[in-house]
Amino acid sequence: MDNIVRIRVFEVVGSDLCVASDDGQKVHDQIAIALREGRKVNISFYNVESLTSAFLNAAIGQLYGEFSEEKIKASISVKDMSKDDLGLLKRVVDTAKQYFKDPARFEKAREEVLEDGNEF
Amino acid sequence: MKISLSNEIKSDYESFACLIKFAEMTKNRVFDNIDISMKNMYWFDANMCSTFGAILYKIGRGPNVVTLSNIPRNIETILSKNGFLSHYGKVKSQDTYGTTIEYKRFEPRDDRYFGAYIEENLTGKGIPEMSKGLRKKFVESIFEIFSNAIIHSKTQMGIFSCGQFFPKKNRLDFSVTDLGIGIYQNVKEHTKQELTAEEAIKWAMEGKNTTKVGRIPGGLGLKLLREFIKMNKGKIQIVSDKGYWELSEGEASSKSFDEPFRGTTVNIEINTTDTRSYCLSSEIQPEDIF
Repeated sequence: MDNIVRIRVFEVVGSDLCVASDDGQKVHDQIAIALREGRKVNISFYNVESLTSAFLNAAIGQLYGEFSEEKIKASISVKDMSKDDLGLLKRVVDTAKQYFKDPARFEKAREEVLEDGNEF
Repeated sequence: MKISLSNEIKSDYESFACLIKFAEMTKNRVFDNIDISMKNMYWFDANMCSTFGAILYKIGRGPNVVTLSNIPRNIETILSKNGFLSHYGKVKSQDTYGTTIEYKRFEPRDDRYFGAYIEENLTGKGIPEMSKGLRKKFVESIFEIFSNAIIHSKTQMGIFSCGQFFPKKNRLDFSVTDLGIGIYQNVKEHTKQELTAEEAIKWAMEGKNTTKVGRIPGGLGLKLLREFIKMNKGKIQIVSDKGYWELSEGEASSKSFDEPFRGTTVNIEINTTDTRSYCLSSEIQPEDIF
């Protein structure tokens, strides 16, 4: 088994509508497990029809409250996204970086992760 | 208690004010029969069933018995087609031209069901064939509004939605209403500033402002909606507490109501003849994302 964990968003969500925050959370949980294990993650959006910021905030945005920007940049790649969806993801990522620059928010996110018993 | 609604209910400030007044008049009633006469009405924009239905649902939870009476034929026809009157003892009639998006009440955990409802109501009906880009943006905007209601309203009474295509105007209106704590309370608690409801909505629609706390970031949904509607030359109306905010013809404006709406309504109106591709002009490469 190679070091790259491949995640198919359609498969995790079970639908081409990737719009709900709860569904984004399922994708996030898989990515986070892989990152904690030091794996690289490749996320495929093949066959995904609709995407929202609410979904991407939960799936990917919140990773910036748990992992460093460097680790995320070095470990995550995406594929099979339309230009429009890439643009949306870029804005979600930029917003998340900005969001966690607020120390109070970063601390709150950290507390929530620790409460769940996950390594930070 | 007998109440009469008059003239018209359209997607505008005056009609929202009328519905808010009606909600305030009935808010303390319990174990009552609330008879709403529509005898003096001549028009009802079907998408406004979202706000009207939310108000009636709350009255019914009093508990009270709600009855709609003396409904003019043209209004009865449209409110039967979209399933609204089925909630008040009438039979749902067939939507021959398929221009309605059914009136529905959802629980906050119904997002999958909501997705199916949108797909079902936009496909193979009289809703016009929109360009692929416009359809995708419209559907995603509706989901952004629905997600916003789930995340921010903390509602216990559900989320109410309804839409209508107006073929002569080439406009499609869609409304989502919740009876949660609303933008005003959220923004006031978050900013710890003495803002008016009007100012609170403006705050929520600007820049990267978000009331979100915790591990999942936010603050993008309403801005994406605003950008899309501006490009499409459509309209957004937001009602929360005493605040009214509107984006129309690319210009934002706001007003206040005399009395508060105890929830939030977001109404969007899109121009269905828009053929813009909605693809971003700048090329973003996957390796540039993170």
